[in-house]
Amino acid sequence: MHWLSKKRYLVGMTLPSLLVYTVYIILPIGIAVYYSLTKYSGIGKPTFVGFLNYARMLEDKVFWTSLKNTMIMFVLAFALLLTLSFLLALLLNSRLKFADLSKSLIFSPAIIAPIIVGIIWVYILDPNIGVINNLLDAIGASALKQKWIGGEVLSPYSIAVIYFWQQLGYLTTIFIAGLKMIPEDVLEAATIDGTTFPQKVRFVILPMMKTTISTVAVLIITGVFKIFEIVQQTTGGGPNHLSETLVTYSYAQTFDSGNYGYGMSLATFTSLLSLLITAIYSLLTRNKED
Amino acid sequence: MKKALSLGLALSMALGLMAGCAGSPSSSTTSAGTSTSASAEETVITFGIHVANPESQEAVTWQIVQAFNEAYAGKYKVEFQAADTETHTTNMMLQATDGTLPEIFWMDASQAPEYAESGYLLDLSDFLSQNEAVDTALGGMEDAFNNGSMQYGLPYQCNVQGFFYNKDIFDAAQVAYPTEDTTYDEFLTMIEQLKAAGTTPIAIGSKNSAYAMWEFNEFLARYGWEEDIDAYNAGETPFNNEKLVSCFEKVKGLADAGAFPENMATIEYFDAKQLFVDGSAAMFGTGQWDCAAFDESLGDSIGFWWGPKFEDSDAEQEIAMKVPSAPIVVSSKVADDPAVQEAVYAFLAFYYSEDATGISYEGSIFPATNYSGVAASETQYAMNQMIEALASGWAVPEAAPDQTLTPSVQEALYDGLFGVMQGVYTPEQALDNMDAALAY
Repeated sequence: MHWLSKKRYLVGMTLPSLLVYTVYIILPIGIAVYYSLTKYSGIGKPTFVGFLNYARMLEDKVFWTSLKNTMIMFVLAFALLLTLSFLLALLLNSRLKFADLSKSLIFSPAIIAPIIVGIIWVYILDPNIGVINNLLDAIGASALKQKWIGGEVLSPYSIAVIYFWQQLGYLTTIFIAGLKMIPEDVLEAATIDGTTFPQKVRFVILPMMKTTISTVAVLIITGVFKIFEIVQQTTGGGPNHLSETLVTYSYAQTFDSGNYGYGMSLATFTSLLSLLITAIYSLLTRNKED
Repeated sequence: MKKALSLGLALSMALGLMAGCAGSPSSSTTSAGTSTSASAEETVITFGIHVANPESQEAVTWQIVQAFNEAYAGKYKVEFQAADTETHTTNMMLQATDGTLPEIFWMDASQAPEYAESGYLLDLSDFLSQNEAVDTALGGMEDAFNNGSMQYGLPYQCNVQGFFYNKDIFDAAQVAYPTEDTTYDEFLTMIEQLKAAGTTPIAIGSKNSAYAMWEFNEFLARYGWEEDIDAYNAGETPFNNEKLVSCFEKVKGLADAGAFPENMATIEYFDAKQLFVDGSAAMFGTGQWDCAAFDESLGDSIGFWWGPKFEDSDAEQEIAMKVPSAPIVVSSKVADDPAVQEAVYAFLAFYYSEDATGISYEGSIFPATNYSGVAASETQYAMNQMIEALASGWAVPEAAPDQTLTPSVQEALYDGLFGVMQGVYTPEQALDNMDAALAY
């Protein structure tokens, strides 16, 4: 395949992808950033206002609520998903009975459309018609009933749990694939050397799965910052924006309130925050690897 | 050979890219803004509507379109581009930007003026002058969508808004039906009695449907909205003023009395309507578009009421919330193609004709037009309740209060009302948010 590595062929082969990337990724980002510096309703002509929209974010209580909710979801989802999907992968990778069936069941939420996931969980979490509160009523524990969604406090936590449920199987599958890549003889050698299972995980498996762990971590970070349908379906961002995430609030400002410019500034901020967290994570893990 | 292979590979990728970028084929008659001929003679136009399933959710409009298609088979055809209200609004904004607006579309009244100013809408003065019968039948209702320089829209329907109530639930709870003289304090007592009887007094849902606040338009009107709106919109009088604080406090009073469902934050307008038609809620604020559903489910148990009178307000209390609904508008691009314009004008002429008015009444919808001798039948219980309420001859506002605001302030109004209902905002905070939205 030496002939393919010639510069002109490389350029020819990468040009289509580059064009797609530019048209569908770079250009929209550039346009969004431009609109974030304007006052624009989405109709008519935008007026350039500099960083006014970004200054407005600082004074906007709903923005801070959205940021807080997003960070709650991020911390919860990151901690739960990264650890539990890894542990689950370890479990399913061992020679368990019904391991294949378990894998299928755990993976199944990942193939359900997010909007359907939202509908399912409304029937579980709704304060009036939801399974949880009705179950609590049935067992005489009505005092424990909560507004799991639609209240002023618990919605972001509940949404994080839903996201966890939806993503667990998918990420577990990635970890299982990573585990399968570890050479059997390395694990056998560790066993012969008398390592316990925790030691094997700590000193053999984890170091050999750094790349997989990083991939999963980046998927979680970028995924959390894109949670949209679940929020729309369970609470619609309500009551009164108290369960908005940065993405849903950006959408609400852009399309419901007709503040296209402000909505784009929220979108730009969200992208930058997601990039920043990913960069911090990469930096921290790289240092550890060094 | 290798070079040829490489070239072929690159070419196929480039073609694949171009195929991916290509728009939908022009023969697709359902794509937005596509005016095409299914046959040599037939001109197809698209009607962008604000419900996902027009056949069931806007049955009258659907029937009018079917009747039009039948009457003009082989010549003109109207096809729906349907999406729920929020999605439809988003779609129109995006399609305006890329020049693919449907030929005719429903538009929220708060947004239409901006579309008109930006040149996206056709001036329909010409249509009205060519169709004098329609102009006469509209009886001035079209004025709500004339900005002085152009007729940018025509009323989709005539909206009559207020509280519907289930007489059976009131009877079972031994609560007297509300009358046009029922005061707010009496209303509160009514709420308490209904609540004590184990029913949800007022069905309402806020999830993705903050616009579903029609019953509170009457509240706003009875606190002098129509007299004050110009000063509000000009920023001369803040929304956070004594009158509107009193108005919002009444909404808070209802919430404090337990008038609304506990899960109002997680249910939508359609869920709330279901609570009412199932007999799980005593009252439901909505408009005439739900009459047919109420006839079917509740029959002659349905009652209609404008809402309570407020003794602490100096404003006119005898107001009937009969207003032009949001407009239907026509894309300005229609003027580029005489055949399409002819089809659009033919449809509009049909939509506002006596035949269509008859279809509207049959479907329990108040049309925007008036033709003598066309009215509801005896079995249209919900609509007849509204006609009875309208018989008092009270003054009607030029537009529903929520339709007199810019989109961002309108959103703040919706947000504020539901915020007060759900205890998230005080009345003052809700009104401050409206002032902030106006100032931005």
